[in-house]
Amino acid sequence: MSVITPQLSWLDDPEVFRVNMLPAHSDHRFYESEADFAERKDSLYQSLNGEWQFFWSKNAAERPADFYREDFDTSAFNTISVPCHIELAGYDRIHYINTMYPWEGHQYRRPAFSLESVGAQPGQFSEAEYNPVGSYRLRFDLEERMLGKRVCISFEGVEQAMYVWLNGQFIGYGEDSFTPSDFDLTPYIREKGNVLAVEVHKRSSAAYLEDQDFFRFSGIFRNVTLYAKPQIHVEDLWARTKLKEDGKSGELALRLRLSEAGEHTGGESILAYKVSVLLKDKKSGNALFEKILPAAETVQMEPEILRDIQPWEYKHPNLYDLEIRLLSADGKAAEIAACEIGFCRIAIEDGIMKLNGKRLIVNGVNRHEWNARTGRVTGMEDMLSDMACFHENHINSVRTCHYPNQIPWYELCDREGIYVMAETNLESHGSWQKMNRVEPSWNVPGSVPQWKEAVVDRMRTNFETFKNHVCILFWSLGNESYAGDNIQAMQEFLEEKQDGRLIHYEGVFHNRAYDKTISHMESRMYASPKQVREYLEGDGTKPFILCEYMHDMGNSLGGMKSYMDLLDQFEHYQGGFIWDFIDQAILVKDEITGREVLRYGGDFDDRPSDYEFSGNGILFADRTPKPAIQEVKYYYGLYE
Amino acid sequence: MDYMNRKQNQDTQRKLKVVFGDVVLGVHGDGFEYLFSYAVGGMVSLTAGGREWLYRAPRPAFWRATTDNDRGSGFSFRSAMWMGADQFVKTERIRIGIDGEDMDPFLAPDNNRFLGEKEAAFLTVAFLYTTATTPAAEVEVIYTVEGTGRIQVDVKFHGKKGLPQLPVFGMRFVMPTKADGYCYYGLSGETYPDRMAGGEKGEWKVDGLPVTPYLVPQDCGVHMDTDWLQVYRSSVLANEVQGKDRGRSTFSLRFEKVNTPFAFSCLPYTALELESATHQEELPPARRTVTCILGAVRGVGGIDSWGSDVEEQWHIDGEKDIAYSFAIVPVRE
Repeated sequence: MSVITPQLSWLDDPEVFRVNMLPAHSDHRFYESEADFAERKDSLYQSLNGEWQFFWSKNAAERPADFYREDFDTSAFNTISVPCHIELAGYDRIHYINTMYPWEGHQYRRPAFSLESVGAQPGQFSEAEYNPVGSYRLRFDLEERMLGKRVCISFEGVEQAMYVWLNGQFIGYGEDSFTPSDFDLTPYIREKGNVLAVEVHKRSSAAYLEDQDFFRFSGIFRNVTLYAKPQIHVEDLWARTKLKEDGKSGELALRLRLSEAGEHTGGESILAYKVSVLLKDKKSGNALFEKILPAAETVQMEPEILRDIQPWEYKHPNLYDLEIRLLSADGKAAEIAACEIGFCRIAIEDGIMKLNGKRLIVNGVNRHEWNARTGRVTGMEDMLSDMACFHENHINSVRTCHYPNQIPWYELCDREGIYVMAETNLESHGSWQKMNRVEPSWNVPGSVPQWKEAVVDRMRTNFETFKNHVCILFWSLGNESYAGDNIQAMQEFLEEKQDGRLIHYEGVFHNRAYDKTISHMESRMYASPKQVREYLEGDGTKPFILCEYMHDMGNSLGGMKSYMDLLDQFEHYQGGFIWDFIDQAILVKDEITGREVLRYGGDFDDRPSDYEFSGNGILFADRTPKPAIQEVKYYYGLYE
Repeated sequence: MDYMNRKQNQDTQRKLKVVFGDVVLGVHGDGFEYLFSYAVGGMVSLTAGGREWLYRAPRPAFWRATTDNDRGSGFSFRSAMWMGADQFVKTERIRIGIDGEDMDPFLAPDNNRFLGEKEAAFLTVAFLYTTATTPAAEVEVIYTVEGTGRIQVDVKFHGKKGLPQLPVFGMRFVMPTKADGYCYYGLSGETYPDRMAGGEKGEWKVDGLPVTPYLVPQDCGVHMDTDWLQVYRSSVLANEVQGKDRGRSTFSLRFEKVNTPFAFSCLPYTALELESATHQEELPPARRTVTCILGAVRGVGGIDSWGSDVEEQWHIDGEKDIAYSFAIVPVRE
């Protein structure tokens, strides 16, 4: 590892978005012993969630720049929970705004290189008068079971840019708030008294790419976890599955990336190991397939045909346990890597999207991660409640609007048979749509070369993290970001992977020049039934989907029949995702009555704001259903 | 509607006693007493079993608290004059009939001719209102009181060219105290013309007067396709009752369809009270019951919340007539 000096200017530079960060990898779990694996005991993980030391500064100039030093005097520091939004902890103002950038009217900004007259914009964020910094510190001991191993850290979600130090040494930098950022701590970690320092900047050039219609939060808002890698370790696992045309046999191909501890602790060569591949039926536990492969840094298994496969689909979420054992010379497993996989086939046949050979009907919702008390810090209880609501109301699909969700949500969708449109963390709405008018004069990512790698990297991370989840039928390149060469490059990245899934992007509607190279389906949002019909009756060549429809703001969701009727009339109309699942509003104590009440944009002196526009759910923000949900249940039930 | 020639299908026994006062017309029967005020221009008392059901005279309802979609599509701006019409109404004419015979003239001193109470098999009291709109429209509200105490209410809106679409049309009854709840035979849940397929037909009981807690208070609680509605109360404002009998017994009033089902809402607030609040907690303490019996309901829409209108078949045309009827039935305990 070469020594890198962190630069504040990275905040301003769209070409710097990950420094020293480990490559994105699959989200499989791993175990060191058969005993741990049998109990699914996470002995190789150590959670760092909890109370951290914290200091809030209004901007980078005012921050305690050397807080990462081990001997730094933290007597001025407060505390904060991790995970938690800084704003909900009371350090910075809560702000809701829809399409406008949050600095609208406060600061004149143009993205670096977005116009000929606009250069690199040095200092745009790093020297801003208002760009709060959260300085987080945690002192921790390494748990015994982690000792003597390579240790990495995973930040599952940090808004929006962060610098990481361990024991006074700079570790790395990352953007992309909604995907895991992993760093190797091995060179600097010790048994006791480690000092982890994380400096979170509210905004960076990434702010242009994260202009989602939601409360604008910052801070460490998802889990922080250490993980220890055994002597030999599956870094990445890609199980490519496919249901064959006969509907009862499947194809399984594998690609593994292995690493060993040699560099740091001196170990055996990877080549001395063998890789055992075992596939078991999840329900019966019966082995379906076994194979031993030689170990190497990259292990490839060409497609194997498996017989008597139960397809995965809504109502029939048949899953299989894939177990990868790295066997040492004595035949013992040095590591067991595991994930659940399934077999389905999504394809466009005769101009119609078909799943397992049958026409797919999407009875979908858009779902933001939301909890009225904790914002986008949500837990398993919320997820299970949402999933129960899906089943109750015949919802078969979810779009992870507009960012990758927490990992357990995809596992849940695998198990519960819910189709996922896995959206990449990208929305630049304010850069091309102004006052409801398409005005992309300074759109990013557009075709601006300096913005290409940042968005392709977001696509890559989304893909690499979640690629083994059978629930993902669609990759979505992002939301409402217009269209240009850079979004096309995201699609090209996916096309190279040939994973069989369909690619979705709606924004090409506003820039038809990219019609052939972006999105496998015609996707629209809020088109009226009449407009949808016009497309379907016209010379549209792509199957049609509404990535957002039935805007359920307040008392709404009228006229759903007109959309559902299209399903009967046009085979290539394939349904849509209701906007959206849950109101985004925050429970606070009323200053007058002392009762708990729900507040929305503008209620925190936040300006400019789009007020109640974030309340469009079929659930209220406290998860009680809105009356309109019976209509969803009725119509989605008809088309199950 | 030629209400004076109307033939009621009922026994012709003259059970009703009619009092032609100078300001107020009273009608008395077995267990009920109704008062109609010439000064107010409407029914000011509906008493059954000694319990009052009217806090103020029923009025035509022209406004619904703006929904997010109404606001976003500009509907409330286009139709804003109905908000004024909802708040202010002018009585143009009152007519009274007994057993189909026009009793005009009936104001003082012409009422001296009655020499006491009149008997009637049925009594018709008709109010003609004009709206605070440009152009003005006329609304007829005709109460026909039968010997049993049943009141049939026939409501007719006369559309006028140039009037904007209506958010709603019906009759609003403000009751003196907050109801304990209501029962109805109709569709489950909150339904609107363009959102009622999921409603299950049946008898439903609702406790309290729930206001659907939309982030911004707005029209809510409408129930389409209703055969009957029964509102339950146990509190009264009558001072002599307070303390000893207050809250101890439940009494109710029933609304029934006449020929075709009606829509209704039963809330503790008027449309304008809901309209004025930006949060649920800004609504005043719930102290009344506002029951609206509706003859026309605009859809809520759902295409988007920033421009698309409700689908055309769910509009209420202000240029066309709307006529509907329902009955009010006092319930014997």
